[in-house]
Amino acid sequence: MDIESETNSRRIQVRFVTKLKARYKVPNTAIAIPSHLHRLGLSSIVNKLLQAVNSEWKTEPFDFLIDGELVRMPLEEFLLAKGLSAEKTLEIEYIRAVSPRREEEPCVHDDWVSAVDGSSPRFILTGCYDGLGRVWKQAGQCTHILEGHTGVVSSVSIINSEGTDSAIVATASKDQTLRLWKFDAEDSSDQPARLRAFKILRGHNASVHSVAAKTSGDMVCSGSWDCTINLWRTNDSDIDGDTVSIKKRKVNNTDEESQSEGEAVSTLVGHTQCVSSVVWPQHETIYSASWDHSVRKWDVETGKDLSDIFCGKVLNCIDVGGEGLALIAVAGSDPILRIWDPRKPETSAPVFQFSSHSSWISACKWHNWSSVHLLSSSYDGKVMLWDLRTAFPLAIINSHKDKVLCADWWKGGCVVSGGADAQLHISSDISIQ
Amino acid sequence: MSPAQTKGIVVRMIQGTRRTAVKYLNTTRPDRVEKNMHILRFIGTRSNSSRLALVAVTIVHSRKSPRFMTPSLTMGHQEGEKLDNINTLETRDEDFVERGNNNVSDDNDDQDEHSESSQSHQAVDESDSSEDEVAPRNTIGDVPLEWYKDEKHIGYDIAGRKITKKERQDKLDSFLASADDSKSWRKIYDEYNDEEVELTKEEIKQIGRLLKGKAPHAEFDPYAPYVDWFKWDDAKHPLSNAPEPKRRFIPSKWESKKVVEYVRAIRKGLIKFDQPKEEPRFYSLWGDDSSSADRTKHLAYIPPPKPKLPGHEESYNPSLEYIPTQEEINSYQLMYEEDRPKFIPKRFTSFRSIPAYENAVKDSFERCLDLYLCPRVRKKRINIDPESLKPKLPNKKDLRPYPFACYLEYKGHEDAVLSISLEPSGQWIASGSKDGTVRIWEVGTGRCLRVWEIGEAVQHVAWNPLPARPILAVSAGADVLILNTGFGNEEEQKEIKKLLHIGTSTSDDSDDMSSYLSWHQDEKYDCIRLRHYRTVSSVVWHRKGDYLSTLMPAGESRAVLIHQLSKRLTQRLPFKLHGLPVSLAFHPTRSIIFVATKKNVRVYDMLKQKLIKKLETQLREVSSIAVHPAGDNVIVGSKEGKLRWFDMDLSSKPYQSLDCHRKDITNVAFHRSYPLFASCSDDGTAYVFHGMVYADLNENPRIVPLEILRGHTSSDGRGVLDCTFHPRQPWLFTAGADSTIKLYCH
Repeated sequence: MDIESETNSRRIQVRFVTKLKARYKVPNTAIAIPSHLHRLGLSSIVNKLLQAVNSEWKTEPFDFLIDGELVRMPLEEFLLAKGLSAEKTLEIEYIRAVSPRREEEPCVHDDWVSAVDGSSPRFILTGCYDGLGRVWKQAGQCTHILEGHTGVVSSVSIINSEGTDSAIVATASKDQTLRLWKFDAEDSSDQPARLRAFKILRGHNASVHSVAAKTSGDMVCSGSWDCTINLWRTNDSDIDGDTVSIKKRKVNNTDEESQSEGEAVSTLVGHTQCVSSVVWPQHETIYSASWDHSVRKWDVETGKDLSDIFCGKVLNCIDVGGEGLALIAVAGSDPILRIWDPRKPETSAPVFQFSSHSSWISACKWHNWSSVHLLSSSYDGKVMLWDLRTAFPLAIINSHKDKVLCADWWKGGCVVSGGADAQLHISSDISIQ
Repeated sequence: MSPAQTKGIVVRMIQGTRRTAVKYLNTTRPDRVEKNMHILRFIGTRSNSSRLALVAVTIVHSRKSPRFMTPSLTMGHQEGEKLDNINTLETRDEDFVERGNNNVSDDNDDQDEHSESSQSHQAVDESDSSEDEVAPRNTIGDVPLEWYKDEKHIGYDIAGRKITKKERQDKLDSFLASADDSKSWRKIYDEYNDEEVELTKEEIKQIGRLLKGKAPHAEFDPYAPYVDWFKWDDAKHPLSNAPEPKRRFIPSKWESKKVVEYVRAIRKGLIKFDQPKEEPRFYSLWGDDSSSADRTKHLAYIPPPKPKLPGHEESYNPSLEYIPTQEEINSYQLMYEEDRPKFIPKRFTSFRSIPAYENAVKDSFERCLDLYLCPRVRKKRINIDPESLKPKLPNKKDLRPYPFACYLEYKGHEDAVLSISLEPSGQWIASGSKDGTVRIWEVGTGRCLRVWEIGEAVQHVAWNPLPARPILAVSAGADVLILNTGFGNEEEQKEIKKLLHIGTSTSDDSDDMSSYLSWHQDEKYDCIRLRHYRTVSSVVWHRKGDYLSTLMPAGESRAVLIHQLSKRLTQRLPFKLHGLPVSLAFHPTRSIIFVATKKNVRVYDMLKQKLIKKLETQLREVSSIAVHPAGDNVIVGSKEGKLRWFDMDLSSKPYQSLDCHRKDITNVAFHRSYPLFASCSDDGTAYVFHGMVYADLNENPRIVPLEILRGHTSSDGRGVLDCTFHPRQPWLFTAGADSTIKLYCH
């Protein structure tokens, strides 16, 4: 009893530091706080301190880092687990807690939302099971409807939105084609404008499952159920094949005058099953995840398979991020989000495993500029935000009523997610430095 | 020789002979015994005791009638004088002494008046009272005398009272007495009887003779002349006239040899002379009669084991710590009969409440059987560890991957899902339900993409095994529909449409065929409808995707039909089926068909048109059959919940039988590439097994049960109705009566 009461009353000397802006700074003096405090207690202390400085301070949740690790348990337990001394003055860095503070009005679709891309700050692109692509200016405001696919749109990708007025996007569908679309992103009208694709990419023999654009924007790659990855050109440059196909199409169907057809520039063969996800993070490399349980890294120039990671599970999504785009986040047919570091030699085990989901993970995305934050969406209806510095999820977005099929970051501070409840949810005001 | 030594010898002699002398007197002259007992105490050696006693007695008589004196009793007179002295010494029994004196005086006064007989009569009367008093009077029993050395008493009388020792004269008195009395050297103290006795001269003489080693009696002549009773000279013929043999006169050689032998043995130390026995220091008063001394001489006596003495727990009201708790009593039930305690203590508040012995009848019956020498079976306990009987199975972890967790459900049907089928690439799954719909689902998301309303409970769906031909065979009622799923690219679609289009000629077949089957064009879904004359229970595609086999259990000789899609031809199986067909399967590589009837599985070669093999399932009712992708192994599920694995190369009997399910097995399935097989049952579970078939013919298939997949709820007695593996992933799909399809992933 004595010991317990002693620990209860034990105090630790701490100093709160931050890299946040000046208005978040607290006096840089050591204070003694009880050692049994949680994150919440620490947060309230910092808020109190801030209030003491600035009387008009509005309370805000903070997250705390000790030696680069997020505090997710009482301080004393944390110190014990990490083997830190409670005698010294502890330096605790605080950051603004990463969690959505606001839930925007959902964007209602006609059918399941199968794909979303938020890589452009100007708009959100979604794909839907009704075969249409949609462009959303903001929550609830649909500006364009991309129609033309005869099957389910399974994946969407924004190719080029910066600089030029007209944005170019690509959609992949289960009708075995990809379509490229061009529209004016700034156009804002009450009624959504209906668009037709300016280019149809044919060449896959089965449903196209995923599409990813090159960073420069002149090429896209697509993974399909026919086990191949095809590379396509996006720019409507004067290639002979294109004009020929235009003529052919004209003969067949006069309606689709504006549409040209593209053929695959090259095909990457190696996967033995459906290529479920592709990413093209760097100029020359493509990463792909497949149902054959492997993650492959491809050299675009040679079309060679550079390296394999064997995972043992069916993979549904892949993203590359982290510092220097070195970490590969992969998830699939089990509730575990795995992160691999291919730089580490001789290891086949993932460096991080996040296992708070309870069903298949449908999407995982790294944050645009933060090297430690990523999100995952799962069939259990949850979107979780992760920080590499802790094994617990930072935040759980529970707004979906059914499976979440896709999720992405938007504008750095929002999470957009679409699911089987036919809604696109936007959780905004997430503060990530 | 000192006088003390002499005294000791005499006392010992008296002790040894007294009893014999008394006996003698009792038998010879009972009339005077009691009066003369004190005389007997002087009797010397055993050899002449009787005579001495006689002498003593006659001395007494001689007082009253001196004429009876025998010449040999001259010294008897002296004895008579001594009697008075002795009588005065008798202090203990004054009455006796007085009477003795009276007797003597009486005898002396009226010698003639009293006849012998009257005296003897009186003596008899007296003797009754006094005989017991005087007769052998060892009061201390067989214990050493020195035990009473320091006591004031010596022994006990018959009433248990201590017999006190006579007061010893102190040394001075005894010295003065001895100085006065010239005969004091003849006096001896008898310690046993605690009295002083005086030896007669004759006895002293006898002792002196004994000490010299002579015969105690002076009259005894040891060198009496030899009287030869055999008359040697009178005999006409001697008994033997043979001369004395020589051997009588020479020493025996054998004896000398024997002596030499003994001498040598003694020298060598082989023969040892007995050591003088040591007297035990302590006398074992309470020692066992069967002592070690006796044991060495006789056969060893093995005492029977002593039964355990009754303890406190056998009391009718033992204290509480002896009463076992209920848990202990329960634990006795788990023990073996032999190890169980024979007696369980119980408490009864009073002696009255103790019931009768409950095993009385049983025990007496057993006893009767024993007496009857009735042989009874002794049950032998087999001491085998049950764990060791289990086959050595590999660890489940080493057999991964296999499906174990359900993450995805396909919901949408409104009634029990009767059948499911996977598209060959594994992207789509088709399901047929009792609600009359066929649905196609996306495997990865659980999205229902297409629904066909058939209008009748869909018994079976089967996806064409060709990836380029995404068509679906559906059996509903008596119809089989070949549906176009609409997948595939344009060229494929074009081909399929052509394939599924039948012109107007629906009855272009021969007449006998049209009676039980007709090909129709279904307008609603633009597909082919094969109308059978009986209910079709299952549809199976041949691996090449062109042939289609349908099963009508009630179809008798036309129960199994084989249709060719491209030519729109139908033929029946050209074999006689023995029994009701239940299920059928095509061999995965060769043109062989497996037809399961209720009892057996028959294997037919389609090309040679003959029966290859008959598998005896030993089951009551077969429900399903699946063929291993290599084609040599077959599993058969039955309605009694049993699963049989047949190795066709091995035998037509089951290689292994797995009795896992509690209810009907509804379907069994092999995985196409992983060594897995599964069975699903109406008890709401599906079992996943590891079933490795080795290419090496010497090695038997290895079957390991892996996982029980639960999750489906039963509705009206039906559980899981169909199961099928994903063609490429180690995933199992199960269709349940709860109208859901579940996907179990690894």
